[in-house]
Order: sequence, then C-alpha cells, then structure tokens
Amino acid sequence: MNAFSSSKASGKKLALFLLLTPFALHLFFLILLPHLEILNISLRERVSYGIYKFSLMNYEAFFTEPLYWRTFLRTAVMSILTTAITLIVAFPVAWYIAKVVRGRTKGLLFLACLIPFWVSELVRTYGWMILLRETGVISNLLQWAGLAVGPVEMLYNDATVMLGLVYTSMLFMVVPLVSTLDGMDDSLVEAAYDLGGNGWNALREVVIPYAMPGIVSGCIVVFMLSLGNYLTPILLGGKDSLWFTDQIFTQFITRFNWEQGAAFGVLLLILSSLIVWLGLKLSRQSFSETMGR
Amino acid sequence: MTSDIDLSCTDLNKNFGSYQAVDNVSFQIPRGSFFSILGPSGCGKTTLLRMIAGFLEPESGGITIKGDSMLGIPPNKRPVNMVFQHLALFPMMSVADNIGYGLRRRKMKASEIKKKVADALERVGLPDVGDRAISQLSGGQKQRIAIARCLVLEPDVLLLDEPLGALDLKLREHMKVELKKLQQAFGTTFIYITHDQSEAMVMSDQVAVMNNGRFEQVGTPQELYYQPDTPFVAGFVGESNHFSGQVVGRNGDVVEVKTASGQVFHSIERIDTNLAAGDEVELFVRPEMIHLSFEPENKPENALEGEVANILFDGGNSRLLIREATTGAELQVVQPQTTQFRDVKAGDRLYLSWAASQSHIFRARGQSQTPALMQTVEE
Repeated sequence: MNAFSSSKASGKKLALFLLLTPFALHLFFLILLPHLEILNISLRERVSYGIYKFSLMNYEAFFTEPLYWRTFLRTAVMSILTTAITLIVAFPVAWYIAKVVRGRTKGLLFLACLIPFWVSELVRTYGWMILLRETGVISNLLQWAGLAVGPVEMLYNDATVMLGLVYTSMLFMVVPLVSTLDGMDDSLVEAAYDLGGNGWNALREVVIPYAMPGIVSGCIVVFMLSLGNYLTPILLGGKDSLWFTDQIFTQFITRFNWEQGAAFGVLLLILSSLIVWLGLKLSRQSFSETMGR
Repeated sequence: MTSDIDLSCTDLNKNFGSYQAVDNVSFQIPRGSFFSILGPSGCGKTTLLRMIAGFLEPESGGITIKGDSMLGIPPNKRPVNMVFQHLALFPMMSVADNIGYGLRRRKMKASEIKKKVADALERVGLPDVGDRAISQLSGGQKQRIAIARCLVLEPDVLLLDEPLGALDLKLREHMKVELKKLQQAFGTTFIYITHDQSEAMVMSDQVAVMNNGRFEQVGTPQELYYQPDTPFVAGFVGESNHFSGQVVGRNGDVVEVKTASGQVFHSIERIDTNLAAGDEVELFVRPEMIHLSFEPENKPENALEGEVANILFDGGNSRLLIREATTGAELQVVQPQTTQFRDVKAGDRLYLSWAASQSHIFRARGQSQTPALMQTVEE
C-alpha cells in the first residue's frame, strides 16, 4: 500500500518534471541565456580586433549623451500616454461587450476586436499609411470635399505614431477588461445608484476599483508592447520618430556597435521594469495578483 | 389616514413585449409595517420591486411614497433603498466604507459619517467589524451589513429581494427572526419579496400573494392561512390536499361534493357562494387539519378510512401518506409525534376526519389557476 502510494507520488513528480522541462528549457535557452550574453556584451569595451576589456563605458554613454536618454524619456512618456489613451478608448468598448450586449452579438463584437490581428502588424501599418499619406485616401477626400487646398501629409508626426500604437494595443486592453467586467455582478452598479450615487460615483467608487486588476494587467501589457514596438513608430513616425528601439537597431545594425546596443537593451529592460513597478505601487496592485486573473 | 401610508401603488402595469409581468396591481402599505410579496418564480414580484426601486418604469399606474409621486424619479433620488438578492456589497471596500457609501453621496462630513457608521454597526449587532473586508464576513454578517448599509440612510421604505435565498437552512431560520427584530428596532417599512411562504408568514404583518402578475390576496399571514380567497392561495400558502369534484347537494351553507373517484366531502362555502348542484368545484384540506384515529369517530362531517401507504418522516413535520380504502386515492396527513401515533407503520388502518369548516371550497376556474398538490416552489 505504502509502496503503491509512494510510486504514485513519484509518478506525479515525473509528470510535473516532464511538463515543466520544455518550459524550463525555453526559459533558459531562449530568454535567460541571450539576456545574460547581452549583459555580458554590454559590459565590455572593444580594445582591438578580438580583444575586449571590462568597462562601464556603454552605460556612461547613455547618461552623458543627451540624445540617448532623451530618446528614452520620450519613448517612455509616449508609451505611457498611449497606454492611457488605449485605456480610455478600450474601457467603454469593454463595458459594452461585457455588460450591454448579450449572446451572439457579444461574440461577434469580440471577434471584431480580434479580426485585425489576423493581418500582420506590418500590413496593418501599411494600411494606415495608405490612408494617411500625402497622396492617400483621406488627403484626397479632403481635397475633393474642398476642405483642403493642397495635399495633406498626415504621416510622420507624434499623433500618428500614437494613433498607430493605440490601434495595435486595443485588443490587449479590451481582453483583460472584458474578463474582469464580465465577473462583476450587475447589481453592484444598481446598488451604487440605489444608495444615492450617480453614474460618475458608480464608475469611480465601484466599477473602476472592481476592474482594477484588469486595468492594471491591460496597462502593463500595452505599455510593454508600445515601449518595445519598432515597426509602428518607424513606419508611421519616419526618421524623426526617435523611438528607443530604433536607437538599439541603429547601434546593432547600422553602427555595428553591439556593445552600445546591448547596453541600451539592458537599460530598456531595467527602466521599463522600474516604470511597471512604480505603476503597480501607485495603483496598489500586486504583480502576481494582477497576472493571476 | 393617508399620512400613515408609506407606499401606495395604484393600477400598476408592466409589459415585456407581449408578456404582462405586472397586471393592474394596487396596494397600500402603512408606515412601519413588514409587508411581504409572496409568489412563485416568474410571478412578477421582482418586476414590481424594481419598479418601486426605480430601475423600471411602469407602463401605467402610479407609485407614491409618503404622498409624493415617484414616476420619472431615478433610483438615486428615491427615498427607498434595496437589499439585493446577492446583497451587492462592494467587495473592494471595507465594511465601514460600504455602509458610509450612501452617506458620502450626501456630502456628509467625514466625522459625522464615522459616527453614523459606528452607530449602524452597533444597531445590527456587529460593532467591531468596520475595518474588515467584505470577504472576511460570514453569510449572516453580510446580510446584516447589507441591511445596515441601507438603513443608515433612513429610507422611507426598505426593499428586500429574497436576501435569505443563498443562506443555508439553519442560518435562514435564524435570520428570519433577526430581520423581524431589526425591522421593529428601526421602525422602517420593509417590503420583502420571496417565494418561500415560511419566510413571508413568520416575518410579515401583511402578505400579498402574487401569481401571474396579479395580487391574488392581501392579508395577514393568519388570514391567508385560514381564509384563503382563491384556490391559488389555498394551494400555495401552507400545504393542502387538493380535490376536484362536482356539487351534488347542499344543506344551509354546507356544500356536498362528489369527486371523480367517488369520495363525498362536505365543506362550508365562503368566497364562492350560491354553489348549486352540478357546479365544478375545487376543494382543499390541509394535512394538519385532519384528525387521525384508530377507531371510527362518531358522526364526523367528513370521514375517510384508509391504510398507511408510506411514512414521510421529517421530525415535527412528518406526514403519513394514506391510501383511501374504497377509491385508492392518496392524501397526506400530519403524523402527530404523540405516543399513540409515533409507531404507526405502513399498512396500518386509520380513520380520518375533519369538520366542514376546516376545508376550503372554490368554484373551478380552469386548470392553470391551481398549483399542483403539495407544491414546493424552488428557484
């Protein structure tokens, strides 16, 4: 009996081990190892061909060269702004899907949010370019309607970059919001009204605190995606977009300065983690609780 | 006299498409009373309550509270509060913040809110739970906090939407008494809707029995139990043995009825008078009104002879299922837990009797009017 139960326990252990192995391998070889190598590269200085020495030079360059840290700051602020705008746009959408519509329509609306993601981000972004460029659809429409005299260039500015980022991020905000709002009992909102509250009170004191885990997890994902996005800012913002990922690309590919690029990569990871940590502290949510939902 | 009426509804109607959920309902509730609306699920009682709360507008008819019309007034401006079926306590707020929510909406000073919240907690008997999270409370405590959250606003009328439904039996029995005490302590008018007749009977001053969107009868629990006005009330409030039959004769106000299976009963007509021979009627006898004996009684008004087919043991609520000797029809009789009847076994021969005044007779009104025999309605 004892031997049986112990063999059963070891069987369970084996199953757990087998299940975890691919995950652990993935974690080690595809995430941990490259990052350690990047950290290693970032901490060395090239003395001559094939000869390196330990140095913090690459990190110094980030803090002493204004272009670098300003680009980072700009990227961070724009990403935070994108996150905020995405939240404001996605919240009513999520509310409508979770609380207003029922049955088939609900599924259809959810699908409508998902469908754009069947097309690759590159194609989607080119779609925006067709609409917004000087010779694009909107420009022509404005001229035809007599609202503009000449061609209107709507690409290559911050607003367009933001538009593209919000569009790309929508789904990642809508999904966690719908799932938390779905779990909310409608009578909570009714109770908020019944006890003398108006729509604003109900939203601020009942709905938003209830949806907070969903809001925070959506915000983390959207912020990380925007900060690390390369395609959208470069295509819609052009050369002036000054996105931090572009700096990393430039260092690695254009300038072939892997040491500097690696340092930027490490800094991006550290600084974005710092911002997320700060956001969690401010919203009084714990990471595990938010992501566990 | 009108100033003593807290809530008055006149000719209320509400349709959902072609379905008439509330059909011409009128009633008045005196100040400080405990009023229950009792009915099976889907009878329109929740719709009625939501109209009083302001979440639904009636198609026609009027609702006045203390003489002021409530039509067109949104729920947050009405002097009524509601305890929801699942309580709807705000899970992300502490107990004290839950109770203070309504007071904060009234822009009351923080110090005053604190005092009122402490006072409300004291009155519901939970003075020390203010700082706790809702999830740390037991079921019964949550009930009391939900009620305190409403009563702290001193509403004219408190609406309760089956709040005891989710509790287990023992706690529900306890909370019935608790609710009644709270109502008396606060002196607020309570409107309580339920499908559980025992909840309605134990707590209420007045009960309205609702069916198919209409009020069948409004009265004290005693009136509903002893003098039901309609077959539905007779069948729904308390339990009843139900017979259908034809009038075969009468003697004064005692009507003689013959059922399809050949049983003959006598009953006193009360609501439907002038029953004549040949009229289709419905007859109700409560299991607890039937007298049991081992020997034939001397000239009872109604007498049956049968053997015990089954014993439905339920402690003090035990029933005997008696199969009548001549017709084979079955009926339920309360089994007294006295030494004489405690040891009754299946197959024992018993004599049943009851007075004509202890049964209720109604003119038959089609089939859907009467709930099935011994119906217990569950959500």
